[in-house]
Amino acid sequence: MLIEAIDLHRVYRMGENEVHALRGVTFGIERGEFVSIIGPSGSGKSTLMHIMGCLDRPTSGSYILDGTPIEGLDDRRLSRLRNRKVGFVFQSFNLIQQLNVVENVEVPLVYMEMDRHERRERALQMLEAVGLGHRSQHRPNELSGGENQRVAIARALVTDPDLILADEPTGNLDTKTGHEIMELLKRLHEQGKTLIMVTHDLEKAKWSSRFIHMKDGKILHDFRDTDGTDIVGMFYESTMEQETQ
Amino acid sequence: MEYSESFRVGIRSIMAHKMRSLLTTLGVIFGVAAVIAMLSIGEGAKREALEQIRLLGTNNIRINAVKLTGDKAREAESKYSDGLSYKDGLLIRENIPSVRAVTPIRFIDAPVMKGNKEAAARIIGTDYLYPEVTSFRVEEGRFITPLDVSEAKRICVIGAKVKRELFGYRSPIGHRIRIGEEWFRVVGVMENKKLREGKASIIKIRDINRDIYIPITTALKRFRDEEKPLFVNEIAVQVKSAELVEPTARIIRRLLKRTHRDVQDYEIVIPAELLAQSRRTQRVFNIVMGSIAAISLLVGGIGIMNIMLASVTERTKEIGIRRALGATEQDILGQFLNETVLISATGGIIGIVLGVVMAKAINIFAGWETVIALYSVAVSFGISAMVGIIFGIYPARKAAQMDPIAALRFE
Ligand SMILES: Nc1ncnc2c1ncn2[C@@H]1O[C@H](COP(=O)(O)OP(=O)(O)OP(=O)(O)O)[C@@H](O)[C@H]1O
Ligand SMILES: [Mg+2]
Repeated sequence: MLIEAIDLHRVYRMGENEVHALRGVTFGIERGEFVSIIGPSGSGKSTLMHIMGCLDRPTSGSYILDGTPIEGLDDRRLSRLRNRKVGFVFQSFNLIQQLNVVENVEVPLVYMEMDRHERRERALQMLEAVGLGHRSQHRPNELSGGENQRVAIARALVTDPDLILADEPTGNLDTKTGHEIMELLKRLHEQGKTLIMVTHDLEKAKWSSRFIHMKDGKILHDFRDTDGTDIVGMFYESTMEQETQ
Repeated sequence: MEYSESFRVGIRSIMAHKMRSLLTTLGVIFGVAAVIAMLSIGEGAKREALEQIRLLGTNNIRINAVKLTGDKAREAESKYSDGLSYKDGLLIRENIPSVRAVTPIRFIDAPVMKGNKEAAARIIGTDYLYPEVTSFRVEEGRFITPLDVSEAKRICVIGAKVKRELFGYRSPIGHRIRIGEEWFRVVGVMENKKLREGKASIIKIRDINRDIYIPITTALKRFRDEEKPLFVNEIAVQVKSAELVEPTARIIRRLLKRTHRDVQDYEIVIPAELLAQSRRTQRVFNIVMGSIAAISLLVGGIGIMNIMLASVTERTKEIGIRRALGATEQDILGQFLNETVLISATGGIIGIVLGVVMAKAINIFAGWETVIALYSVAVSFGISAMVGIIFGIYPARKAAQMDPIAALRFE
């Protein structure tokens, strides 16, 4: 199992107030799965993604990534784990504006302490793979949204991580570009990457093989598309179920 | 992250805000320039003092005549003290056993001619001990002998530059030159002594290569001062060893106090003390310059810290992104600290250049000797780097301790 999460809680403390973003989440993800997470705003999807990406720690519960429990890891080890095992793709791309495209793709390799020439070579390879080899010297603001997201995907892939975490990767894109990005992600899945994607769009969720429905910091349903199940239908069923309760 | 990478990121960030970075470093630039200028003046004064000591001799004591004016002059007259005299020299030589040699020096103001060529020279009446006391040797011919002194002969020994001016490359020995109204036969030429051009000295270093020496007795007789017939300008005393300089000076002081009846128409100069004296004069100057430097560096450091704090806030998103991609807190700390040190060290380098220019300008316009020592460059550079570390640590820590998720969400 690539990911094991057992009874995860995450509480944000803001002065007197406490916000429970996660209230006991337990699940496991196998290598090679393509999971989409869906749920209303504030249901804790991003919080869960951050914990899965080792960018945040649960307040309680245990999280194990590729056999390594993150509990008790210091900043250096956790950062190393994040650097080697995880690639993030964000809704707003999150490229560094001062760097050009290829330098952006190189950043994770810098923290891997890879040699400069090797780094450049790998980054260019990745850009080729997402179809942006010819744009390597451009600044992010000279590229379209779809191109920006491809650069971000190249950056997420450059360390050859086991896990790709995409938080609403098509949220800032139009339908057509969104579709292109989905195809790119699908291809990664087919190449054997484990992919976890947060989305608000049920049409996008259909691309995945598993479907986690979250609400109020909990997992409401967890469907597996083993034999062409209609996951959208199941989603509606589950929301209806919620409302009648 | 490797250092070279951190360095490159730092350079880029500075180059992206050239004007801002330059303005930020002004304090450090001026602070470092002040340090360089201060040290160069101090070093110059020290070298000059050492040069004087070398010329006057470490085992020596100089007694200089002091010209009195006003009330003090009248007092001296009423006490019948007629200034420093040849007799004082003889008294010291005969009564103080720790003294090895004493030689009088009397300056004479008279034109020096050979045919119709005039030489810019200074005429000095002295005796046969002069070369020994001053370690200034004869190159050609001989110096003044005891016989020359006792018979008050009209002979002279000329400095290397005087010789060149009057005789070119021919030997002057045996030729006559005219000093004032008298004819003198040249018997010797002094060695050419290399001198550094000293401008700000406690004692003016004169170009001794332009000296002409004649027997003291001849000087007193032929260029007679009717009011003070035995007056000499200086008495050079050579002591047997360095440890004896202090006690000997004390004895001389007591002796002269008695013979001059408490009139201070002379001063006693101990060359070895010139260094300490020049240090004392330097101190006030150092305190002023040092304060300017310290305030500049403090203000500069605070300025850098301010800009870095602004830069950290400005780049919150970048920090979040880097953390998400695997940067450790240490990496972020290093990146910002490195950038601060780069800014202040660049300021330091500019400051060093400015300081060198300032030192040169001080030398040209104020006439003070300035010397840029390598250590002062190293010290200044070190100070500027230290300023970067001290004032960079707080912004860098702030950047490193940022919550990565909050940083990512920052717009
Ligand atoms: N840093 C934080 N401090 C305080 N509360 C937070 C913080 N981050 C998230 N929360 C709260 O935790 C809850 C879950 O937030 P999260 O961002 O995980 O939701 P989400 O499912 O990703 O929502 P969306 O679909 O809008 O992105 C929300 O109520 C949110 O306000
Ligand atoms: Mg979210």
